[in-house]
Amino acid sequence: MTPAAVRASRQPDDIPQDAILQGEIQGMNVHSQDIASRAVGQSARSVRFVDVAKRFGSVAAVADVNLTIAPGQFVTLLGPSGCGKSTTLSMIAGLELPSQGHIYIGDRDVTTVPPADRDIAMVFQSYALYPHLTIFENIAFPLRAKRRRTTETEVTRKVTDAARMLGLDKLLARFPREISGGQRQRVALGRAMVRTPTIYLLDEPLSNLDQQLRVQMRSELKDLHQRLGATMLYVTHDQGEAMTLSDIIAVMSAGRIEQVGAPRELYDRPANLFVARFLGEPGMNILNGDIGDGRLRGQGVAIALPPTVKAGPGGLCAGIRPEDLVLCPIPEAELTGVVRTVEFLGSRCLMRADIGDTLVTAFLPAEVTTQPGETVGLKASYPGRTRWFDVASGLAVGH
Amino acid sequence: MNQGMRLTGRAALLAASALASVVVLGPIIWALSTSLKSDNHIFAVPPRLIPDEPTLMHFQRLVAEGVQWSFLNSAFYTVVSVAFAVAVGGTAGYALVRYPVPAKRALLVLFMGVMSIPSYALLLPTQVIFVRLGIFDTRLALPILYAAHVIPFAVWMTRAHFATVPRELEQAALVDGYSRFEAVWKVIIPGARPALIAAAAFGFLYAWNDYITATTMVESPDLRTLPVALIFFQGFHGRDWGALMAGVVIATLPPIVLFLVYRRYLIGGFSEGSVKG
Repeated sequence: MTPAAVRASRQPDDIPQDAILQGEIQGMNVHSQDIASRAVGQSARSVRFVDVAKRFGSVAAVADVNLTIAPGQFVTLLGPSGCGKSTTLSMIAGLELPSQGHIYIGDRDVTTVPPADRDIAMVFQSYALYPHLTIFENIAFPLRAKRRRTTETEVTRKVTDAARMLGLDKLLARFPREISGGQRQRVALGRAMVRTPTIYLLDEPLSNLDQQLRVQMRSELKDLHQRLGATMLYVTHDQGEAMTLSDIIAVMSAGRIEQVGAPRELYDRPANLFVARFLGEPGMNILNGDIGDGRLRGQGVAIALPPTVKAGPGGLCAGIRPEDLVLCPIPEAELTGVVRTVEFLGSRCLMRADIGDTLVTAFLPAEVTTQPGETVGLKASYPGRTRWFDVASGLAVGH
Repeated sequence: MNQGMRLTGRAALLAASALASVVVLGPIIWALSTSLKSDNHIFAVPPRLIPDEPTLMHFQRLVAEGVQWSFLNSAFYTVVSVAFAVAVGGTAGYALVRYPVPAKRALLVLFMGVMSIPSYALLLPTQVIFVRLGIFDTRLALPILYAAHVIPFAVWMTRAHFATVPRELEQAALVDGYSRFEAVWKVIIPGARPALIAAAAFGFLYAWNDYITATTMVESPDLRTLPVALIFFQGFHGRDWGALMAGVVIATLPPIVLFLVYRRYLIGGFSEGSVKG
């Protein structure tokens, strides 16, 4: 048997147990057993980063990444452009070599293994379809690699299967330039699926589609992940995609992983100011002031400190999500300020108000009659919704 | 614009095109016609474009003189130099786009600079070098010089093309299970065909039509190229216009055939190089 065949025939029991059971990610315990168990019976593999860094010259694109992805998980690397998420994905693919650290797929150290020998499939942002080949040949391309030795009947069967699954059956004789963006995207997926890889890498696969198609493809991807049970790594700067698709999100910024966790966990309990501001549309309101008298006090700000939160030497700031703010009489208010704009969104209103020199956003019921210029009082709908951060380190200290 | 003016415009365009065709094709057609006339019909008054009694005597004469060997020499020099220049130039063009070559800009400027030196200025020094190296008047002399002339052009031409090819195409092939070489061969080269063919066509025309380099670097009659052989032929046989024109026809045929076969790529390749380069 060829090494590839040996690898393919291995059972999932060679996946390190700790990766499945603990899903240990940067010391945070992620509850991934249910997700992992779904992958049992599939050939899904775990991915593990150990102290991985990538420098281009003197620029650190990725620094100190430690991340474990359990088999069968859908994990998204989310961050603003230039944060190192695509570089991280390229290192799993083997298209970039890490400057330091190790990458494991399953229990195999693949740090320097060529891309062809990693048993991964990748969908590129630009789709990277081969312009001189028909759709059929594009999808068949991975099967025609020498190392796979696929017979012609098998190629035809696999390509038609994948094409049927993605609704491409009628386009097989066409060339990439003759089909639409959404269809190209599906061909790229088909090319990835056709050889049932253990890991899918998806680099902003939906960003070139229009809004409607993006939402449609998003649910198709989710569906595909559930059917295939494969490990999927997804890169995006679109938090809506990240939230809806992922089992786990790793938020990245400036080459570092800021926080790893399930979407809800990241949203409700951001580990630091970056994640708090980055997640949510709009992001969390961050309010500054001085601590005194058991309160955070600033211009228009007076928020009682919960007993569990202790102020460090750098001081504290409070974070409140826009949807957690409600209007209240000014004497009871935690925030007092002047309304700048009120946008009617149908189901609710988005209000912007100047609290001191901080612009605070709040989602209010659709029927509010508040007008710009009015002075209003706001408070958290209940105290547990306010997050507290250490100003100096930016880290969350409690809620 | 009214109907009449549009018609006049059309007619003018047509007339201009016809005139251009006559200027370009006239000599070739006249050469073909002359090559098929017997000696006493060549200067017949009034001149006739279609020969009364077409004859292949001039072609037979050329064969008797052994001109076909010069044809084969030319073909050999051209094919070897073009194949070599396109392979080397294409590889260099690719490397200059994809690999971190030190002093990349300087190298490209150097290539450009070399192209701008009139090759005749280098002819005599090169001859001296070739004599010293023992390459003068051998089968190697002309392929080396032709390839050297074509390589910079091939580098620029292919580099301009490779620069437009997204990196992801190769990366996709790598992930799909191919080696770097296979990825380039199966994914990049097919797309680069117009650029490669354009570079090859430039090289072909240069090597096939060259006269000066061929007379300077090669002396032996059995190493001669076709243009050199034809000039010698004229020198020996004075005003044997029929045979000379037959030679011209033979020499013109290969470029025309190649152009007709590859015209789709040539026009595409040149415009691509000029627009995207």
